[in-house]
Amino acid sequence: MLVAGRIFALGMLIALWIFIIGCMEMAKKKLPTFRKLAGLDALPEMVGRAAEMNRPVHFTTGLGELTGTVAPQLVAGLAVLGYLSELAAKYGVKIVYTVYQPQVMPLATELMREAYVRAGKAEAFDQEDQIRFLSSEQFAYAAAVQGYAERERPAANVMIGPFYAESQLFAETFFRVGSIQLAGTARGYQIPFFAVVCDYLLIGEEIFAAGAYLSKDPMQGGSIQGQDYGKIIAWILMFVGVLLTAAGSPAIMDLLKM
Amino acid sequence: MSLFVRRQIPIAIVAITSIVVMADYFLKIPQTGPVVKDLQNWGVILSAYALGFGAVNLFIVHTRHISKRASGQWPFSIWLLFILAVFAVVGVFIGPSSAQYMWIYNASYFALSATIYSSTGFYIASGCYRALRARNAQAVILLIVGSLALIRNAPAMAAGFPIFVDIDAWLNSVPTTSAQRGIMIGAALGAIALGVRTMIGRETAFLGRRTEAER
Repeated sequence: MLVAGRIFALGMLIALWIFIIGCMEMAKKKLPTFRKLAGLDALPEMVGRAAEMNRPVHFTTGLGELTGTVAPQLVAGLAVLGYLSELAAKYGVKIVYTVYQPQVMPLATELMREAYVRAGKAEAFDQEDQIRFLSSEQFAYAAAVQGYAERERPAANVMIGPFYAESQLFAETFFRVGSIQLAGTARGYQIPFFAVVCDYLLIGEEIFAAGAYLSKDPMQGGSIQGQDYGKIIAWILMFVGVLLTAAGSPAIMDLLKM
Repeated sequence: MSLFVRRQIPIAIVAITSIVVMADYFLKIPQTGPVVKDLQNWGVILSAYALGFGAVNLFIVHTRHISKRASGQWPFSIWLLFILAVFAVVGVFIGPSSAQYMWIYNASYFALSATIYSSTGFYIASGCYRALRARNAQAVILLIVGSLALIRNAPAMAAGFPIFVDIDAWLNSVPTTSAQRGIMIGAALGAIALGVRTMIGRETAFLGRRTEAER
């Protein structure tokens, strides 16, 4: 019934689900406290700056697509896009989302339109101008985003999603045109590029917490606490694993291969 | 459109699809295999269909630029639409795997793509210049580690002072790898938590944020 080699992973997944759902239920009674995420707290300041400078805000989810292993990063990016669009609508700032995968466009359209409706500015939303499909080819997309940055010189640039070799091209180009930047990705190799150039950075798991952090929904917040219990389990497994392996026991390896 | 149609149906589709795909991964159920295969095929078809949206969006945006004579943009928009038409005509009438289509693709896109990729080196250099300034303790560490990596990767230095090769190997295999794994574990847990929220309908940001009344 169970696929060999995936039993332990299934057990861990179920344990994590229990922790996460349990913490979400507990959060209804008492909201857990979170450390501040400076990058997300800075979003109103970034949009405010764009309003003062009368320049747009640029948003990208990088090379995110709805299928494959990077899909959660794209969904995390879209959560921030919704929040940012509502802020931009309230401040009267144009937000431009440059799209790599056209399959994201219907989602983004719905999401941004709703954000403008909630801000009471439904008529200000211009779908064709604000959601721009550029290309599904990596460097054609990168060149088009750079061209956009040079021409329209956005006051703020928010990049959340999976990024590859184009990360440094984006970060440097927007830095050069004077944009204040927030970047976030779970792709470890690109984090240093963003860390060096961008004003604010979300590292790894922080992008997945962004939706919950911005929503102020206690239940979503509780799920982050549940996720931290997962980290404790990972710590214990690593600690026990190091001890057992050092003692010459393959027990932990056997357990992981179950 | 009612809230049920806009929210509950998409959430139900996401939850059912996720359960079926996970069941196929973890359990030996012969019935799930073909279903998952079909779901993946639907994904491919939807992606291909969505490309049409992208092409229409490109056409509208660039037609606007041309009609408004958008400063610094409209000549490029004409060029883009022309190239779009060339690719479409050659692809439809001669075939996307024809020698003519491949020649246009290789002679234009490949060369341009390689150019953009190679320009990354210059961007990294300018980023590196800003990063390697000792403004505080963390920047000093970055400066030292960055300098060691630069020295190790300079062939003459690596040949003359092999100690730098060992230092760089240790930096890569111990502190860098452990930090990367920490980030990877955290990101995986974050993705699982996001998945749980999405499956049970708490994370609806991808459908638009919920109002207080809808919570």
